[in-house]
Amino acid sequence: MKATRKFGIGLMLTMAAGALAPADDLPKGETVLDKFVEVTGGKAAYSKIHSEATTGTMEFKAMGLKGKLTAYAAEPDKRYSEIVIDGVGKIQEGSNGEIAWGMSAVQGPRIKEGDEKAETLLQGKFNPDFTWRDLFKSVETLGVETLDGKECYKVLLTPKAGAPITKWYDKQNGLLLKMSLTSKTPMGDIQSDSAFSDYRKEGELTVAHKIVSHVSTMELVMTVETVQYNAEIPKDKFDAPAEVKALLKKAEK
Amino acid sequence: MPVLVLGVLGAIAVPAQRLKPAERSANVESFEHVWATVRDKYWDPKLNGLDWQSVRDELRPRLDAAKDMEESRRILNEMLSRLKQSHFGVFPGDIYHDLDSRESRDEPDSDEASPGIDLRVTDGHAIVTEVQPGSPAAARSVKPGWEIVRIGKTDLAPVISRITKQFHDSTLLDLRLARAALNRLQGSAGSTVQIEFVDSADKKVMLDLDRAPPRGKLVRFGNLPPQHVWSEWRKARPGVGYLGFNMFMDPEALSATTAEAVQGCTDCRGFVVDVRGNPGGIGALAMGLAGWFVERQGMQLGTEYLRGLTINFVVFPRPEPFRGPLAVLVDGSSASTAEIFAGGLKDAKRARIFGSRTAGAALPSVIERLPNGDGFQYAIANYVSQGGKPLEGIGVIPDEEVRPSRRQLLEGKDPALDAAIDWIAKQHRTQESK
Repeated sequence: MKATRKFGIGLMLTMAAGALAPADDLPKGETVLDKFVEVTGGKAAYSKIHSEATTGTMEFKAMGLKGKLTAYAAEPDKRYSEIVIDGVGKIQEGSNGEIAWGMSAVQGPRIKEGDEKAETLLQGKFNPDFTWRDLFKSVETLGVETLDGKECYKVLLTPKAGAPITKWYDKQNGLLLKMSLTSKTPMGDIQSDSAFSDYRKEGELTVAHKIVSHVSTMELVMTVETVQYNAEIPKDKFDAPAEVKALLKKAEK
Repeated sequence: MPVLVLGVLGAIAVPAQRLKPAERSANVESFEHVWATVRDKYWDPKLNGLDWQSVRDELRPRLDAAKDMEESRRILNEMLSRLKQSHFGVFPGDIYHDLDSRESRDEPDSDEASPGIDLRVTDGHAIVTEVQPGSPAAARSVKPGWEIVRIGKTDLAPVISRITKQFHDSTLLDLRLARAALNRLQGSAGSTVQIEFVDSADKKVMLDLDRAPPRGKLVRFGNLPPQHVWSEWRKARPGVGYLGFNMFMDPEALSATTAEAVQGCTDCRGFVVDVRGNPGGIGALAMGLAGWFVERQGMQLGTEYLRGLTINFVVFPRPEPFRGPLAVLVDGSSASTAEIFAGGLKDAKRARIFGSRTAGAALPSVIERLPNGDGFQYAIANYVSQGGKPLEGIGVIPDEEVRPSRRQLLEGKDPALDAAIDWIAKQHRTQESK
């Protein structure tokens, strides 16, 4: 899992924002994103990775809910994640470059469409931090803002499909500190902010091990426990569940 | 942990007593806490255009000059009343005694075991509506339709009278009455409760009934207390499916039961979902359950508004949903998610509703204890059903009002279910004649 991977919902951090710096002083967005690749391991290290398996936890502290997270990703664009929460059950999501789906005991199976599908497929691309040039039609540094006392470059990433994403990169060390986006879903526009911290080495890459997301007044904390690169992942791990396949079959009719 | 509650508990008078300095200080602290909570957590950050700072500036001097607890409480409730919303109120901490706290039982440290009786209060009388098969009550031949006049040392008539007086103009009345009696039946497993009944021959019967663990699986959901949860399905009549469950909890089990029901009823003429007495649970499960009975993509049950977030309660149809006539049974003890489910399906014209008006308690609300010891209830969201009306304080009004009488219960009838089955049969006949 890469440092900027976003799981599910997010955020709205109460971080103080400083005044934007003059545009002339700003590095290009491309430079900021390339620097992130460089400081988290470099192109060579990213190029060696073809699959990954991640485990961790997800916690909704206010509700007292905690779940185990397992996620798999593989080239070119396969992704599957599941969170198992006591009292809620299993929440699954997946994509394969063409379809994006979700399934849970609460809401059942569904096929994602429109902007939501585009966003999931974007997140499902393998190594998106490394291959960002293939995913975004523009990246623009908007200015400098201060987050928790750290000066950051604020970069707007506009994908080829789906909603734009704003990211804040530490001006000093190049690491991603915050991401903000509004996901368009059938249940409404979900504005989220996610803060990335606890960067540590996993193999040759440096990865954020804590992601704190806020949606409305709710806080979600994700903690990464293990990351395994080029792990052997069963091929059927990326297969959609039977209920999702049934929906797809029905949609074909 | 704050207590999640349903209902409005404000503005209940207690005798006045002069304030001591410490009480005055606690009242000021409570005032500031209530004011700030509304400012920070009310779902509309603009507070419907209300100048909240002006409200504080106007009322705080009056609070400082308040002579007793009652006046302080009245000022806090006046502040909250400016919001013009239900589920906001400040009330004396002891108001729960007659409602649903453990304090209302003879054994205050007891748990949720019961003799296996469900009841409703009808026309001022607590009437047994269901006796759980295999329960201690069933073993002693207690029957639906029997009246309960006393539980332990408590005569129910004055309790019913007090609650009726307090909630006479509230949709919550039926729910409060039923819970007040049911709570008194509960206690620790293995303990005994003495109940005085009036049986089918109108004779008084005194029984000592054991309390047994509640039906179902003990399920934990986050910070909420563990709950016993069950779901079942059967054919209520040949060709009519019936799904019943006690809470919108344990999604995997409810989903499995519903899947089995729908798949086992593909040839059914109609389906009945029974949410009578169902207090709700996980809100999103209303959408998940509806997905088993909805074919149309994009159908919505309603909309929930939180601070900075609007959630559309969209139904995602299952691959093979039940497409035939759908009836939903409700009553005054159907609350929260049960109302969202029934109200949304009614508004979308996917279901016909049978029974009596629901509790009108759809908003998630929280009760906190204030520094001065009073309770403070506030809602953290607003919910509007798909028909454009809030459920709060209104409830779901059935298409067919059906309230079981004592006589019908004694005869073993379930009039709401019978009405639903009749309607399904009529739909079937109409369909066949086309």
